[in-house]
Amino acid sequence: MDYFLQQALNALSLGGEYALLALGLAIVFSVMGLVNFAHGELITVGGYAMFLAVLIFGVKDPLLILPVGVLAAIFFAVLLERVAFRPVRAAPPTTGMLMAFGISIILQNSALIFVGTRPKAVPTAEWLMLDVNIGSLRMPVVQLLEAGVTIGAITLLVVFMRNTTIGIAMRAAAKDFSTVRLMGIRADRVVRTAFAISGLLAGLAAVFIMARRGAVDPFMGFTPVLKAFVAAVVGGFGSLPGAVIGGFALGIAEVTLQATLPSSVAGFRDAFIFSAIAVLLLFRPQGILGERPDFGEKT
Amino acid sequence: MTVKSSVLLGSAALGLLIALIGFSALLFAEPYHQRIVFIFMVNLIIVLGLQVFMGNCDITHFGHIGFMGIAAYAVAVLATPIAIKKTALATAPFGLSGIELPLFFAVPGAIAITLIVAFFVGLVMVRQTGVPATIATLAFLVVVHVVLLNWVDLTRGPRAFYGIPIKASLSTATAIAVVGVLIARMFRDSRWGVQLRASSEDAAAAAAVGVRMQRLRFAAWMLSALFLSVAGVLFALFVGTISPKSFYFELTFLTLAMLIIGGMHSVTGAVVGAIVVALGLEVTRFVENGPDIAGFELPQMFGLTGFYLGAVIVFGMAFRSEGIVGPQEIEEWWGSRQQGKQSDAGSSEAPNP
Repeated sequence: MDYFLQQALNALSLGGEYALLALGLAIVFSVMGLVNFAHGELITVGGYAMFLAVLIFGVKDPLLILPVGVLAAIFFAVLLERVAFRPVRAAPPTTGMLMAFGISIILQNSALIFVGTRPKAVPTAEWLMLDVNIGSLRMPVVQLLEAGVTIGAITLLVVFMRNTTIGIAMRAAAKDFSTVRLMGIRADRVVRTAFAISGLLAGLAAVFIMARRGAVDPFMGFTPVLKAFVAAVVGGFGSLPGAVIGGFALGIAEVTLQATLPSSVAGFRDAFIFSAIAVLLLFRPQGILGERPDFGEKT
Repeated sequence: MTVKSSVLLGSAALGLLIALIGFSALLFAEPYHQRIVFIFMVNLIIVLGLQVFMGNCDITHFGHIGFMGIAAYAVAVLATPIAIKKTALATAPFGLSGIELPLFFAVPGAIAITLIVAFFVGLVMVRQTGVPATIATLAFLVVVHVVLLNWVDLTRGPRAFYGIPIKASLSTATAIAVVGVLIARMFRDSRWGVQLRASSEDAAAAAAVGVRMQRLRFAAWMLSALFLSVAGVLFALFVGTISPKSFYFELTFLTLAMLIIGGMHSVTGAVVGAIVVALGLEVTRFVENGPDIAGFELPQMFGLTGFYLGAVIVFGMAFRSEGIVGPQEIEEWWGSRQQGKQSDAGSSEAPNP
């Protein structure tokens, strides 16, 4: 039972990480139709910002570097929108996607050139590494926090999307951007907010990823975001609730396989999961919550 | 099947260019440079295969290198001499460590294995559209990599697979690249190719006139996999030593950049892009290693080649998203220029609805 609860917490925190990232991808996609392959680099940028904060400004308190990571990710997301994605906003989706893909390669290799190939250590707050003991249960603080923060962020996001003008505008923009503009809402503001939120979510994920890894390297954003993409597709690409469900589903699947697979085939875990997803998509190509696009509609 | 003379003309022009590169390397270049030209030919075949799918279906394909990896490892496992397998691959499953096929069987065998995998992946792929389709191809690449890396008994895992007979030559690769251009052109301008391109522009209208998009996509997918399997076999039989990381993101980025910068909607674009990016890549590699230029010693810069590829893609997308060549084939340049001269208005493109 204890073992089960511990694995459940593992699944919840890993799923939470995927959900945060998948949500960020889905928000940007739903508003402006951009498949942001550079999303992973927001994590990397958050990580490097934390590293630089320690190195240059000598921030000693590990608690203070956490917000640095989040803020850097938000700032960078908004910057990317302005510099890289605004020029291709009106272009076909493939153009934007490849643009993001190119940006991602550039950022990874810039980190290689200017910071170095080796992972850089970033100190983690000691209290994050502690365990909470409840009876015979041992629960790491990081995981509890990650699960909690994820759920909190998602709740806040729901409130934001339902109750603020800009949130409602973002949901409307997912259906029909021109009408949103006819209602007198600035397109730039909607898009910028979408990017800022995706940056915030990626920054939160970055903080927890850093706490677990303790180091930053140029390619650290790639794998989590690939998983997030898969999660978003499973949930239904562009659907926000779908992204959350897909994220948690993927987290649960990974932890379950990790716990049950014999070690001789454990290396194949991702291959199993992706193949299972392929079969799922065979029967439900639009994902769990996705809507089948009207025939002939551009997707 | 009748082949339009314009297709033959365009293929001949491109084929001549490729043959010229290949044969001048054979005649004049040193072995080291011949090696570079061989790799270029393999990359060109990859880019052509990518064009067959991406250019006609308008779906970005990240998984093509997965097929190349499967084919390369398949030919390696089938054709490597038993003597080498005894030390390198003693625990291979299905009794493969005791098998050594002549190339005459190993090469078609490897291609067949790849196509069987492509068949099953394709069944899933054609049901997806747009972004999910692209993510699916990316997931496929990861699955292939994970399997190559972890099926240690069959692939030696992360360690290099060595001892593959070195039988491919630059002249073979050049010949295959030339034939590849012709096949890619024939497919693009065939009835299927035209229908497929129409359906990628407007699925509803194409379906209304009886185009079966999923079936055609499947055909393009399989033809693309055929190109990639040939590239994989050539690669393995030329370098003799392969490892899973030869078939992962680096090569994916490189070949995608080649296709995109040339223009993915035409075979001419694929060829031009491959040449342009390859030239730039050699220059970048030179600089990356920190050469002495006019007395200045430049620092080594790891990551410069990757940076270059990213920059190529970003600038391509920002300033010329249709690529250098655009959607027109080489013989159409000539034709459209003539037309432009005749009709001053020159609006040969259909007005947007």
